Amino acid sequence: MVVLFILIPFVLLLVLNLPFKFLNARIAFWLSVVLFSTQALFVLINSLFAWSNYPAVLGQFLIFKLWLDPLAFIMLFTIAIVVLVSLLVARSTITTEKRSFNFINLLLVALTGMNATVLVADIFSLYVFVEITAVAVFVLMAIEKNKFAIEGTFKYLVLSMFASVFILTSIAFFILACGDLSFSEIHNAFLANSNIILLNFAIGLFLCGLFIKCGVVPFHGWVPDAYSEAQSAVSVLLAGIVTKITGIYVLMRLFSSVFVLKGSFHNLIMLIGVISIVFAALAAFRQDNIKRMLSYSSISQVGYIVLAIGCGTPLAILGAILHFFNHAIFKSLLFVNAAALEKKFGSTDMSIITGLGSQLPVTSVTSLVGLLSTAGIPPLSGFWSKLIIIIALFNAQQFTYGWIALLASVLTLAYFLFMERNIFLIKTETAPEGSDGVPFGIKFCEILLAAITIGVGLGFPFILNSQILQLKGLLY
Amino acid sequence: MIEAFILLLIILPLFAGVLSLILPRLWRGAFAVILSSVNFLIAVYLFKKELTFSFPWAGFGIDFSLRLNHFSGFIILAASFFGLLISLYALNFLKGKDSAKQFYAYILISISFVNGAVLANNLVVLLFFWEALLLTQYGMIVIGGRLAFRTATKALIISGASDLCMMAGVILTGYLAKTLLISDISLPLDLLGSLAFILLVTGAISKAGSVPFHTWIPDAAEAAPLPFMAFFPAAIEKLLGIYFLARITLDLFKLNTNSILSSVLMIIGALTIIIAVMMALIQKDYKKLLSYHAISQVGYMVLGIGTCLPAGIIGGIFHMINHALYKCGLFLTGGAVEKQAGTTDLAKLGGLGLSMPITFFCFLITAASISGVWPFNGFFSKELIYDAALERGKIFYLAAILGSFLTAASFLKLGHTVFLGKVSQKYKEAPVLMLIPMVILAFTCIIFGVFNRLPINNFIQPILGIRAAGHNFSGMPANFMLVIVTVIVLLAAFLHHFIAVRMNGGAIRAAEHIHQAPVLSTIYRWAEKKYLDPYEVGIKLINKLAKIFWRIDRGIDWLYGSLIVNLTFAFSRVIHKIQAGYYIIYVIWSLVGAFAVMSFVLR
Repeated sequence: MVVLFILIPFVLLLVLNLPFKFLNARIAFWLSVVLFSTQALFVLINSLFAWSNYPAVLGQFLIFKLWLDPLAFIMLFTIAIVVLVSLLVARSTITTEKRSFNFINLLLVALTGMNATVLVADIFSLYVFVEITAVAVFVLMAIEKNKFAIEGTFKYLVLSMFASVFILTSIAFFILACGDLSFSEIHNAFLANSNIILLNFAIGLFLCGLFIKCGVVPFHGWVPDAYSEAQSAVSVLLAGIVTKITGIYVLMRLFSSVFVLKGSFHNLIMLIGVISIVFAALAAFRQDNIKRMLSYSSISQVGYIVLAIGCGTPLAILGAILHFFNHAIFKSLLFVNAAALEKKFGSTDMSIITGLGSQLPVTSVTSLVGLLSTAGIPPLSGFWSKLIIIIALFNAQQFTYGWIALLASVLTLAYFLFMERNIFLIKTETAPEGSDGVPFGIKFCEILLAAITIGVGLGFPFILNSQILQLKGLLY
Repeated sequence: MIEAFILLLIILPLFAGVLSLILPRLWRGAFAVILSSVNFLIAVYLFKKELTFSFPWAGFGIDFSLRLNHFSGFIILAASFFGLLISLYALNFLKGKDSAKQFYAYILISISFVNGAVLANNLVVLLFFWEALLLTQYGMIVIGGRLAFRTATKALIISGASDLCMMAGVILTGYLAKTLLISDISLPLDLLGSLAFILLVTGAISKAGSVPFHTWIPDAAEAAPLPFMAFFPAAIEKLLGIYFLARITLDLFKLNTNSILSSVLMIIGALTIIIAVMMALIQKDYKKLLSYHAISQVGYMVLGIGTCLPAGIIGGIFHMINHALYKCGLFLTGGAVEKQAGTTDLAKLGGLGLSMPITFFCFLITAASISGVWPFNGFFSKELIYDAALERGKIFYLAAILGSFLTAASFLKLGHTVFLGKVSQKYKEAPVLMLIPMVILAFTCIIFGVFNRLPINNFIQPILGIRAAGHNFSGMPANFMLVIVTVIVLLAAFLHHFIAVRMNGGAIRAAEHIHQAPVLSTIYRWAEKKYLDPYEVGIKLINKLAKIFWRIDRGIDWLYGSLIVNLTFAFSRVIHKIQAGYYIIYVIWSLVGAFAVMSFVLR
């Protein structure tokens, strides 16, 4: 039954492209909304075991094996939410009928790819679906045919190509070392401790590829351009979920439960994470474009997740998963805020759009929620995940990294408050007059995401007990 | 039933004080007079009764325990007497003044706290009322006007610091004696016992206004309303401080003549006499001169009690009540002069004796009392103290007699300047309501002097009980040599005054030759610049320290506020430059990064 997560979007994609007149963008939009909401609701309602116990009738026709565990479950939920938000934002920002239709099609491809990435159980299929997702996103980014969007796409494309080269080469080495590419075989090979040099080499290459996909320093060059030059809806999709799934999820999956690492790898990953946190936070200070600032913030927050994955203790992995979810939610929220500003004022330059607090009450308040959550202010969701990560670091005797992670939160708060003051809180004579109100779709997204952020934050102890603690057992 | 009366002494003035704040302003004075007379009547009724009253209060052996005996009854009688006179006096003195709004409330509440402190039979209860007096003291000074705030703070800090010592003493005493009940405590003066003794005595003599805890009193003389000066430093603080000092030395600890602490007390007393009277001598302000004498006379009481001889203790306690009478009277004459002439600056006053005869008369009697002229009350108490001091050491006697000489000299100067001399302006006599308390006090001084048997035998000697049995301290002093010396000293003071007035030119300059004497002039200059005031020195020291800490704080602030911020921005500028936007640079970065990772993996 798990395969339905992949098949349904795929079938919907095929149906939409049948040569019938009535299949316009409007129909496509509503069908997609239903599909995405269904995915989110199904994940919410059904327990994990109800899903995995269905007979895998359809799955046996595939050449790849699927599995479903709590981690994948959370990923599916996150994917559904962010993709839904991206779709709603696109409805109000993409005006042309044809482009809108194309956008929905590509979104369905990306969804298929991401769902599959989460569900597959061997490393090659993983790579294939990561690439499918990436290709869909390339085209999405270039859907706006202006110079900067093309430039951003190009940078992403080039660096992604390098990543692909690294990962493919690494996969070749895995075949050499293990003979099979399924997760369990690779895991067994690590346990058997044969061909360890070859495996380490393969891991190193794989890591380089993943670092590019994650966009961590110093592999991050494409991130600010790609995030900020793309169309708003695509920014939400890209920053909110695509880099997370194609980069961080894979890193998390492979490095927490497939590969068996020696200590120095942990140090390497943690080092990269910390560099990302500090470097990107400092870089964010200088940005005058809100989307670029959010991009650097994104790199910085990804650094936290990478740091936690590198730490590798069960508590740290738990923190990484939580921060993954939280970050997807609040970073999407902030990008939706940016989309609202762009929609209303046609600019994301912070020197132009100032003093807007009274004009955009919903955006103002929700962006405050988002940034406070990012900076880890209690009781918002970001606080809990950062707290768990930092506690895990201290428990693992990583005091230096723990302190850096703690203090970098201050930097986060500093540049975000700078942004918030500049755009919303300040009172100026020169505040620009917007064209018309913020569309309902965007407002809905803002409120939905802010509600999730606050709700998860307030209900965290409950969620921790009822939902998350089972993750810890199943991860190991 | 009668037990309730002793509680009434505390509750009645307290509630009356609070109530007076909500009464119309015109009624407050009359209300205070009525209530303080009621209080006085209760005190008279309870005098010579022995009562105890106790109910559980705070736990840990801290019961709200009160005890009325002969000594406390006497102090309460005296305190309520002064409370009545001062509120009567303030009725006219404060009329139309802004400070009148709260003054009556403070005076009533103070009476309540004094009664509580004197009646307390538990050290913690005593401390409670003792410290509560700081509140009314602060409030009474601070209503004096704009400049009074600083003085009020100074008084609060000095008294608060010494009361802190007393608190430590109470704790230590309670620990050593295993009880806090004053009537049950009797401690030997071993090492810890001596420490507890010193701490408690610090609180007592600081309340009485002894050196070195005196420096706020002259400041308050300038800033606070005059009835406060007549009530607090002149009367009830002496009553309280000396009462507690006597209780400490007589009951709580068995101080005897062999103890070194007895000598310490006597040295403090002698120093207080000399230092304060030297300062008084050069003052050019009526109230300030009186305030230094209020300090100086404490020296006699501490000296007398410090001798640990029955004559000295009785002399000390007798001097306490005498001092309260004449110093209160002197302050009231000062108030009358201030009210009528509008100033207390000696340079602007002169010849008031003709226009204010009754005030002059009261001044003459009270000044003669404080100088120790026969047959006024100060003479008899001082003779008792001289007797005891001479027995303990000639040096103490010399200090006391020198203090007497200087006291007489300074009052000759004061009286000569203010009431005699050229008539500069015609003034009216003070209002009757102000004259009544002055006259009552002056006559009491005469009665306590001429019929000194009455107060000594009725009030004071029973305090010592068995220790003074068989002696007779009333009447003319036993040692007639002392009387002769005293008379010679007083005559010398007269002679000195007339020669000095002629030589220095003018009564106000009568002490200038002492002021300008070689070594003394330097000391006086330091004193006038307040270099010798422990409080002001401490404040300066704290200011210096604060400046240093402020610098350190600025440094820390610079570290956070400038250094880190600038470093952050510098880093972000560099990073911004690196982020040039060429994809080829990003590719190179990634490849370099990958190279680094791979070399890390394969090392």
